[in-house]
Amino acid sequence: MSKLLNYSLRKIIICAGIVLVLSIPIYYFAISRLWQYEMDEHNVMLTTEAAREDSFLIIGAVTLLSVVFFTFLLGALILMNRILSKKMWQPFYQSLAEMKAFNLNQPHDISFKKTGITEFDDLNTSLEKLLTANINIYNQQKEFADNASHELQTPLAVVQSKLDLLSQSEHLNDAQFQLIEEALFALSRVSRINKNLLLLTKIENSQFADKVQVDISAVLQELLSQLSFYFEEKELTLQVDIEPGVMVEGNRILLEILLGNLLTNAIRHSSTPGTVQITLRAAHISIKNSGKTALLEEQLFKRFAITSSHSSGSGLGLALIKQICIRYGWQVGYQFEGSMHVFSITF
Amino acid sequence: MKILIIEDEPELAKSMGVYLRDEGYTCDFATDYTEGLEKIHACNYDCILLDIMLPGGNGLAIVEELKRLKKNDGTIIISAKNSLDDRIKGLHLGADDYISKPFYLSELSARIFSLIRRRQLGNVNIIEQNELKVDILGKEVTIHDKPVVLTKKEFGLLLLLMSNANRVLSKSALAEHISGAGVVDFDSYDHVYAHIKNLKKKLNDGGCGNYLRTIYGTGYKWEI
Repeated sequence: MSKLLNYSLRKIIICAGIVLVLSIPIYYFAISRLWQYEMDEHNVMLTTEAAREDSFLIIGAVTLLSVVFFTFLLGALILMNRILSKKMWQPFYQSLAEMKAFNLNQPHDISFKKTGITEFDDLNTSLEKLLTANINIYNQQKEFADNASHELQTPLAVVQSKLDLLSQSEHLNDAQFQLIEEALFALSRVSRINKNLLLLTKIENSQFADKVQVDISAVLQELLSQLSFYFEEKELTLQVDIEPGVMVEGNRILLEILLGNLLTNAIRHSSTPGTVQITLRAAHISIKNSGKTALLEEQLFKRFAITSSHSSGSGLGLALIKQICIRYGWQVGYQFEGSMHVFSITF
Repeated sequence: MKILIIEDEPELAKSMGVYLRDEGYTCDFATDYTEGLEKIHACNYDCILLDIMLPGGNGLAIVEELKRLKKNDGTIIISAKNSLDDRIKGLHLGADDYISKPFYLSELSARIFSLIRRRQLGNVNIIEQNELKVDILGKEVTIHDKPVVLTKKEFGLLLLLMSNANRVLSKSALAEHISGAGVVDFDSYDHVYAHIKNLKKKLNDGGCGNYLRTIYGTGYKWEI
């Protein structure tokens, strides 16, 4: 790829070179005709020898002059081009730098300076328009998820309360109650999806800003004791290797959500009976659970990527994990090793 | 027992009113901030159910006003936001409890039940039903004056069932209660049965009457 400045210069030099090279025979022809005419007028006769010598002299002189002028021209062109172009393209390079520094996640006020050149001002106005539109769309999209989840909460509460009341009516039969129960079950899933969507947008919007030192070993132990019932219930063998006193900087609630989601995933997706292995080291945690087939890593962390009608999960658990890790610059990875799903985070 | 429901969504307020009236409470309604303020100035309530996002003002300001008036009404904040900030702020300002939308009416009723009993002096902290005694504050259960050890979740379930006595509780409502307000978002729907089974066994082993009935196949009912 060639730079804009060199691009125009090369074309000009080639053009000048061709003109000068073509001019050599023309000069030669013109000068030798003039020379011949002058000699004929003064009745000077030359020997063939002398005539050839003259014509060599003319060719030599013309070529030399051409080369000298070409060199001058070249030098002047390069110099002029450098100075002019730099000045001329300056606003372009400024806009370019401005665009390179732009980040949709952290949009700052974009403003291009007035250049006084119509084309560049036009370009900058168009860029400004484009960027502002993009920022607006991006913000709207973020707000939409947030607002939509908010607005859904109240109608959800209404539906749930009505179903609740319906289940209290007298003379219900088993089949009717089952219908209510199934509706409530589906509704609770909607609520959970909604809650997690809200949480996701909140993390994206950089709420939960506070950072403290959290004893992640203690948090993990606490969560394990809360979930012990479910490990037993699913006949999972728990192998825990936790280094005590591991400190991580972050928001406590987010850390609890992160670890809680990893653990509940391990319980939910383990085969029964199965094994769950948890290892915590100073800068690393890995949670392994037995499984049958490997999962697609690139699909895994996307929203609603692996929801199935059987799973009552929200389909957002791993997306949340990913988002929290991005937030703190941690690495989250997935592997399938020896019939075990391995999720690991490097702090 | 008088309850004030400050909620701008009329259908939700109606549902709460119907359920709570059947529990024997008297309900007053306010649909916006100003009406809410008027009602709390005019009357004393045993419990106020307060939506945070109200037309005309923030519900949290009503909690502050109650405090300023040195009123002792119990307050439960109902929020659509489910935001931890609001929860912490509300409880810090002096609200007694927090429940986020959507919620089960049985859960709400259980919260009101505990709240009213917690705030009253004397022996009302203990619910008695024949041989069964449940101490709400001490979280202790005795049958024939002999202690029965329940896990935290089992105790919570028992309280939910007893405070919704003679009502039908759906499996979903129990599941929601078990998963609770904690950060761990676990679908304990499948585990309700196991929890109930354990609770039933412990009560029966202690010699407690068979008050906990299964109804319609998957629903539960605590009978008095």
